[in-house]
Amino acid sequence: MFDILFIGLSLSSILLLVALGLAVTYGAMGIINMAHGEMVMLGAYVAVLANIWLGANLLLAIPLAFVVTGALGYAMERMVVRRLYGRLLDTLLATWGIAILLQQAIRLEFGLVFFGLHVEGLGAGLQNVPVPGFLQATLTVFGQELNTYRLFIVAVTVVLTVLTWHVLYRTALGMKVRAIIRNPQMAAACGIDVRQTNSITFALGSGLAGVAGVLMAGFRSVSPDMGATMVVDGFMVVVTGGVGSLLGTVAAAGILGEINALTAITFNEITGRAAVLLVVILVILLKPAGLFSFKGR
Amino acid sequence: MTTLALETEGLSVSFGRFRAVDGVSIQVAQGELRVLLGANGAGKTTLMDLISGRTRSTAGRVLLEGRDVTNQREYRIARAGLGRKFQIPSVFGGLSVRQNLEVSLVRHPGVFANLRFGLGTTDRQRVSEILHLVGLADLATADAATLSHGQTQWLELGMLMGQSPKVILLDEPTAGMTQAETAKTAEIINGLRGRHTLLVVEHDMAFVREIAERITVLHLGKVLAEGSVAEIEANAAVKAAYLGTQEISEC
Amino acid sequence: MAELSRNYRVWAYLIFFAAILALPLVGDEFWLNRVAKYLCYGMLGAAIALTWGYAGVLNLGQGLFFGLGAYSMAMSLKLSSHTSLQQGSDKPIPDFMLWNAQPGAAPDLCCITPGSWLWLPFQSQWFGVAMAIVLPVVVATILGKIIFGQRISGVFVSIISLALVLLARLVLVDAQPITNGFNGLTDLGFLQVFGAEIDPYAVSTYYIIAVILIVVLVLVRLLVATRSGLVLQATRDSQTRALYLGYDVPAYQTFFFTVSAAMSGLAGMLYVLVAEFASPSFLDLAFSVSMVVWAAVGGRGSILGACVGAILINTIEAKVSEVEQLVEAWKAIIGLIFVLAVIFLPQGLAGFAHDVMRRIRERRQPAPTLNRELRQ
Repeated sequence: MFDILFIGLSLSSILLLVALGLAVTYGAMGIINMAHGEMVMLGAYVAVLANIWLGANLLLAIPLAFVVTGALGYAMERMVVRRLYGRLLDTLLATWGIAILLQQAIRLEFGLVFFGLHVEGLGAGLQNVPVPGFLQATLTVFGQELNTYRLFIVAVTVVLTVLTWHVLYRTALGMKVRAIIRNPQMAAACGIDVRQTNSITFALGSGLAGVAGVLMAGFRSVSPDMGATMVVDGFMVVVTGGVGSLLGTVAAAGILGEINALTAITFNEITGRAAVLLVVILVILLKPAGLFSFKGR
Repeated sequence: MTTLALETEGLSVSFGRFRAVDGVSIQVAQGELRVLLGANGAGKTTLMDLISGRTRSTAGRVLLEGRDVTNQREYRIARAGLGRKFQIPSVFGGLSVRQNLEVSLVRHPGVFANLRFGLGTTDRQRVSEILHLVGLADLATADAATLSHGQTQWLELGMLMGQSPKVILLDEPTAGMTQAETAKTAEIINGLRGRHTLLVVEHDMAFVREIAERITVLHLGKVLAEGSVAEIEANAAVKAAYLGTQEISEC
Repeated sequence: MAELSRNYRVWAYLIFFAAILALPLVGDEFWLNRVAKYLCYGMLGAAIALTWGYAGVLNLGQGLFFGLGAYSMAMSLKLSSHTSLQQGSDKPIPDFMLWNAQPGAAPDLCCITPGSWLWLPFQSQWFGVAMAIVLPVVVATILGKIIFGQRISGVFVSIISLALVLLARLVLVDAQPITNGFNGLTDLGFLQVFGAEIDPYAVSTYYIIAVILIVVLVLVRLLVATRSGLVLQATRDSQTRALYLGYDVPAYQTFFFTVSAAMSGLAGMLYVLVAEFASPSFLDLAFSVSMVVWAAVGGRGSILGACVGAILINTIEAKVSEVEQLVEAWKAIIGLIFVLAVIFLPQGLAGFAHDVMRRIRERRQPAPTLNRELRQ
């Protein structure tokens, strides 16, 4: 039982890693960023390239990926998303177009293939990143062998969640972000630079996705299309948890991850995934505001 | 005695521990124009939400023409003869002004009954008539989204004329209007008088004096006083609770 | 606005109809077979526009209805294929069921694999044809009643439909013994209509599909022009106002959602006739999103625009894909076109055409509305 719970926990932490960035961009900004999965994918490629070209290990790739995907998110907000505020479904469509562009950029090695050039680490094939030795061991807890890398992921997720919470609820930036959620015009009237804040928030959400990508590179192979399914999972977590509620996102990730693990081990992988989808559908039908939203008047 | 157009009996709703509307009983006769007064948070809009089915009440009843419509779904109450104008005007922005009015002429509310083209001659005449009544005839083909704030309010009033319900609830019909626009709105509302029973929420005392017959004052979710304009203006409790000092009332 | 453009709209429809009916004059059978598939996609695009543009409901799981239609038809055609009939029993049995059969299971459609009895009625081809419409209609009606009855709107409808199509895909792949899982249904027979075979590569088949598309487009265009269509657009702009006028908004949304589902089922059925396979990829998220792209580029608010968008994009894609190097580059181009279309042409090509027409007209004769404004 403990081992199942632990698998569930590590599934949850991966869901949460992906959903955390979305909780910021969708939950706080109301932007449906379909390219979020591709930000995760790019984070994973930063790890791949850092390993090949700089000889940097996974841990060093984390800040690097945060900066790269964060900068890209910033640019994306400036160039595309900014024009679409208030058109929720259109942000979904435009960012989906961006997602394809990013995937193809990696697959076509930024277009260099057309000139006969190849970059090691890019392209359509699968890539792998070695995990540092000290994270490959197994620990024995309560008579169970636990993979240290999975423990490491759980730990990093906890740290990132706390940091995100801190940024949103204990810093000046977070206060601005929350003011903008409530009333953008009023926030602007109070002297908040709404545009700048939105750009930074979007960059933050994208940066979190990049970090998630680095961690994923450590336990699965990296490919240009790895992000496509993730964004769907991430959204389901955020919506199930209740939009705008970070706590809800954490709880939803926990619940969905455990449900996935329990059903997958009792039946099979497909049933596990189906069970998660079913729960999400039911939650939206029965509690459209999400499990953990607090509705006032 | 004829049946009352609109009656509430001990209507109440609580949000958590807060009783927003607390045992409100009002009787509005056929063809009457009743004004609801009250400070912010007195429960005026909430009372309208309860009557129109937007919010479910926790106690009490709503009778429309003697029929119990308590806590029914909005479209059912609407079909029973209730129309409502919102504080923030709500029209169909993507449709033309004329189409907005065409939609408001509800002959048959069902999907299948409406699988027909266009309107009958009488309905088309009615639409033109309303266009003139609310002064939007020149803008009939414009998209409703392009109208000014005042014009949008008039279009919404026009749609209420099209719907032609027995009882009309108006939530602050002059909010955000210039003086000229307010005067025109008063004219339109006075035109509705007699044919419809009206319940109007309003803050603008000048406007209230112009249209009101009887006034009901709400305070903290309860009925504080009821009477003619003169009676209410002279009422000490109302002065204390709502009007406060004279300066504030004219604000 | 509506009156102004009615003439142009009728002409646009007529030109489009003439164009698809004239195509057999310029192409061979193989090319026509391909275009026939795109006509089916065109019907899908129109179905998206009906819910998205007119009802404000973006269905990201339209592939579910297309898949239901495609599989219903494919099951019937599978049972009439040569490989299903040559099994030594008097009843046809799909080949993959024989491969999957438990040792000792009776070689009969009723019980060769668990659930294989579900295939029994599909021995009648008309049952398959009927189910291709009936199943999407039933599913959409139930779904619509629940979703719209709960007042769920906007993004949440999109996410539910998206989750649902992914769920259906998992079930389809998992039910391998009766659906052939990932491999889908291939090696199909031909539909027999009054003794004649529907040959995917016959010019007559192309005409059948073109005519069905024309009929569907005309019917849907008429449907949105009815008072119900007008009320539907009203609910898109303000559900609350429509409710307070006494309209049963969920009923309107459910009705048009169901019409859109029926169109998609029909498109799926016709697609199987010319493509000769049904596959779980019809329920891929990517396919459902592509439909939205077609509609967005063609014009979400225009039935014809979305249909043309679907045909156009697929035709260009096919042309580009002939050059092997460009296959991947084309995807990037589609992504770019899409971003640009959403930002700069939110009403798609149809909206663009509409603006151009209006400008031309205004230049030709000073618009009467302008004079009225001056008088005010």
